[in-house]
Amino acid sequence: MLEFISGISVVCFVASYTVALACEVSRLAFRSGVRGAALVGFAAAGLVAQALFLGWRAVNAAALPLSSPFDWYLLAAWLLAAGSLWLTLTLPRTPIGLFLLPVVLLLIGAAQLSSREPFPQSPATQIWGAIHGLFHLAASVSVALGAAAGIMWLIQAGRLHRKRPPLQGFRMPSLERLANVTNRTIAIAAWTAAAGFASGIVLNAVNRQRGLLETVPWTDPVVLRLGGLVAWLIIADALAHATRRRPGAARLTAWLSLVSLAVLTLSIVWGVFGVTRHGMPPAGRDEPVAPSGEAAP
Amino acid sequence: MTLALVGGTHRTVPLALRERLAFSAEQAAAALARFRDRFPGREGVLLSTCNRVEFYAAGETGAEPPAADQLVAFLAECRGIEAVQLEPVLAREHDAGVARHLFSVASGLDSMVLGEPQILSQVKQAWALAQDSRTAGPLTGGMFQAALRTAKRVATETALGRERVSLPSVAVADFASAVFERFDDKRVLLLGAGKMAAETLRYLRQAGARDVTVVNRTAGRAVELSARLGARPGRFDELVAELAAADLVVSTTGATEAVVTLDAFRRVEARRDGRPLVVLDLAVPRDFDPLIGGRPGVWLYSVDDLAAACEANRRSRQQEMPAAWAIIEEETGRFMGDLHHRSTAPVIDQLRAGWSETGEAELERLFRRLPGLDDAQRGEIRQAFERYAAKLLHPPLASLRSESRAGPPHGLLDALKRLFDLKD
Repeated sequence: MLEFISGISVVCFVASYTVALACEVSRLAFRSGVRGAALVGFAAAGLVAQALFLGWRAVNAAALPLSSPFDWYLLAAWLLAAGSLWLTLTLPRTPIGLFLLPVVLLLIGAAQLSSREPFPQSPATQIWGAIHGLFHLAASVSVALGAAAGIMWLIQAGRLHRKRPPLQGFRMPSLERLANVTNRTIAIAAWTAAAGFASGIVLNAVNRQRGLLETVPWTDPVVLRLGGLVAWLIIADALAHATRRRPGAARLTAWLSLVSLAVLTLSIVWGVFGVTRHGMPPAGRDEPVAPSGEAAP
Repeated sequence: MTLALVGGTHRTVPLALRERLAFSAEQAAAALARFRDRFPGREGVLLSTCNRVEFYAAGETGAEPPAADQLVAFLAECRGIEAVQLEPVLAREHDAGVARHLFSVASGLDSMVLGEPQILSQVKQAWALAQDSRTAGPLTGGMFQAALRTAKRVATETALGRERVSLPSVAVADFASAVFERFDDKRVLLLGAGKMAAETLRYLRQAGARDVTVVNRTAGRAVELSARLGARPGRFDELVAELAAADLVVSTTGATEAVVTLDAFRRVEARRDGRPLVVLDLAVPRDFDPLIGGRPGVWLYSVDDLAAACEANRRSRQQEMPAAWAIIEEETGRFMGDLHHRSTAPVIDQLRAGWSETGEAELERLFRRLPGLDDAQRGEIRQAFERYAAKLLHPPLASLRSESRAGPPHGLLDALKRLFDLKD
């Protein structure tokens, strides 16, 4: 069994999610009596494989989820994949995976391009690292869910505007429900991202005091990109809140959720390819502290 | 012949004759009782709906179902109609044609509204009545069970019954329900007292709508209609306030020009706090200025819009016909295969009994010659004999089953009878 688990690679769950996504896309082309089972089966298989992969890393590579950029992205992808599967089971006629699984694959792609080295941590910074990582994780997952709801709102509204009956196998939830989801996820994303940023400032101060990690300057690309994301999410939430009693507010919120996903994507790309002092040991220190905590990328 | 059917539908029987031919539940029970007395040992099921009257009969070899002419005469006698009136309009089927027809009826393929689901419950009721009347049996039982299975497959594997085709149902299910998640917290405004309003409200009630206001230019008519529909009467001179409070409007006035103009709606819009509004304008001429549909948060649908959606759904249903017929053909083949295989049962039983008898005789002889065998050894030898017989019998039985799929395997049965000296 252990040999089997150790053999699970990123390719395994990427392949499963890709087949599940292909099943979702095929809804547009033809009807099938077995597609639902295949879709759920492959998504569940990918989810289990990814969970085993993360578990194996936690046990054998001393890499608790969130302890490296690689693990952080994979955990975010796993949460979204789990959400996608749950929504597929509860709304079987809605192609939810069509909107969430690409984000899952994008996050796994970002993980592959990111460092697998755990951040040096100590018990003193572990709690702040965990808070920092978890808040950013919640923000990112909220943005992705909100964007999925936003794009579904626009598709549904487009169909209603054209006065067409719904496409077979491509039924969207009601505009009312989708608007509620986008509103809530934008608010959750704004507040959790802000909390994540604030906890990062505290973590930075603790690091500076203890000399455990390199102090991250305000001009560091990670600070800039996360600061930009937080600023945008707060603006988006404020806009959504300010216009909620105006005609067409739901459409604006849907677009805001899509722009939020675009900003998050840019932030991830910047994070993957940018140079940073985030999570680095202090200059001149050769031996990093034993990894055991959590932090955001 | 094992299965027989005579029947007429809205396509073949004129309405006046169909009305006379139709059976109430009591009349159907009486007819089945009469059938049981007239044709003992035969099975019969009577399906009578507003669009069809069909009699399904079945019987095993030696007690074949009544001939089609007898069934026509029987139906005519039951309803007091001259048989000559029915003969030209009632269709006749036998064997596979009966199963195929029943499967298509149960699946809604033979209905006036293609794919409508009510027929399935009527088929179940007909079968239940036959059971109560003791005219049901294994043949019709197998056929009606297969019909229910076929209908379920058609419903799940095709989109035949999924698309709505009536204007009010499309308006509520495909449009209003796509805007609102729930209706129990929404205010519905019925503007006017057109006949489509009540029908649309029925679907809205099913969807959960509770708060309904009826506004009509004639106050008395609004009171009367609201009492009938369990709604609250509103005042026409407060239409702007009613529109501002409403989430969904069903408009069916007989006005000759728009009741709600764009300018009037702008006044409404200012009081709505940005809440979305669905307007189902089912009036001709239209009650709402079409430009209102361009306002943000307003979803306006006219009769033509909804009719176009209905037509698209009808086309969608038609496109599912080949897939539905493929299922029906497959199930008909499977059912008829089982039915034909069933006719081979006496021969198979004889064959098994003969082999078993011979085997037992040989075992007895062997055990007498080997008295030292204990019970366990005897059991082993007996099991070996039984396995040997089963393996030898398997190929001819498999051939019989395979041949049954194409029709009654008379040739193989004759060959088996001659080869193994089986008697009828």
